[in-house]
Amino acid sequence: MPDVSPALSRPTRLPRRGLERLDLMLLCAEALDLNGGEAMVWMSEQLGYQSLFPNRVELWKRRCHNPLRRSTRRGQLQVQDTDALIRILSAMAERLYPMLRQLLSAAEPESVSEQRWALFRSRLQELIEERLNLRRVGVRKLLDPNEGPQLSHQLILSLALSAGNGGVERLKASLLDPEP
Amino acid sequence: MIKLSHRYEQISCRLTVEGFPDVSTGQGSQAIGILTGWSLALAGHTELEGKREHLEALLQVVAPYARHLISGAPRAFGDPISPVAVHPDGSRHRLELRSSQPNTPPMALHLDDAELADLVGCLDQLLLDPRLQLNLQAPTPQPLRRSELRKRVPLGRRIAAPLCGMAALGLAGAVSWMVPIPKPGSFNPTEGKGTSSVAAPGNTSGSGTSAVPGKTATPGKTAAPGPEAPAPAPQAQTSQGTGTRPGSSQTPR
Repeated sequence: MPDVSPALSRPTRLPRRGLERLDLMLLCAEALDLNGGEAMVWMSEQLGYQSLFPNRVELWKRRCHNPLRRSTRRGQLQVQDTDALIRILSAMAERLYPMLRQLLSAAEPESVSEQRWALFRSRLQELIEERLNLRRVGVRKLLDPNEGPQLSHQLILSLALSAGNGGVERLKASLLDPEP
Repeated sequence: MIKLSHRYEQISCRLTVEGFPDVSTGQGSQAIGILTGWSLALAGHTELEGKREHLEALLQVVAPYARHLISGAPRAFGDPISPVAVHPDGSRHRLELRSSQPNTPPMALHLDDAELADLVGCLDQLLLDPRLQLNLQAPTPQPLRRSELRKRVPLGRRIAAPLCGMAALGLAGAVSWMVPIPKPGSFNPTEGKGTSSVAAPGNTSGSGTSAVPGKTATPGKTAAPGPEAPAPAPQAQTSQGTGTRPGSSQTPR
């Protein structure tokens, strides 16, 4: 089992918004990596979470606690489950960091950057339409041509800042933010 | 004693720290316990150098700035007299460094999101490196307060609900002010006496609001009441002024 940092040792359950955001960021990681689902299972094994997520179905069941899901699960997610998902996400963000950086960099040629963003958004849109409840306002905002790009940019920036071991506590603290 | 140097790198950022192990506290030969200097090289920008207090100041502002940025609520960190300050500047981030030398203007670096993420990554590596035993203080990430998060909601959306509430309250007040207040003694309880009572048979003019006298329901014009229904006409003679036609609906069945 990996080391548990002080912030993660606090038994605080993620609020509803935090769960939504965590699953959306995992969805972004899948949109960046075509083999993201497999990579997530592999990363879970690498981090020593076989007992929590013995197979991909268990991982999927935990992610289905996101209220924005098409087939959402009732009940609250345990702290150890959310901590494990946060660690997996940070490890995936570290692995995908070069791609995240390319999307965020202002030094890239504008046309290339636009193509990258368009590709990412189209993949994310496909995943959203496949898995999330399109009647929810939060999901409609993500697909909105005006608000969607800004929200996607914020998700990618959050992923970049939560990459690696140093980003785990930062990410968890942000997921514990109260409702504005 | 050989000076040690540890390097932390991201794609566009390289942070190098130099120092010696603090032998008096029993540190290993690869640990840095005494910092002699550090340098930060950001691609396309001037290389920065400093001492321990500058590195601590950098950590004190960049770590909380990244914490706010990840929640989508960026704000400035570092006051005008601190050695390092950072604040959002459009789509970029302005990192200001003030020299301790007198008459030296502050240096400003405009970083994009990728460069800032690289800098944050380097500082994370530095803080997590077990070889660096400098006991550097960086703020622990904490959930933001509700007031800090409120800023990311546009002003128009934030004030829409209170404005609508105040407008509704004002409108209700204006309408209630326009309704005349009845004067004391103007209410005559005898005025409305006949309007709610059933008129007596034959007393068709007992109320100003009753049916026209010529069309009042006379017993002969109403449905022929049998002996078991003796009083249909008075019942039809309601004085509501609605022109009730006697016999049309009062036929006893």
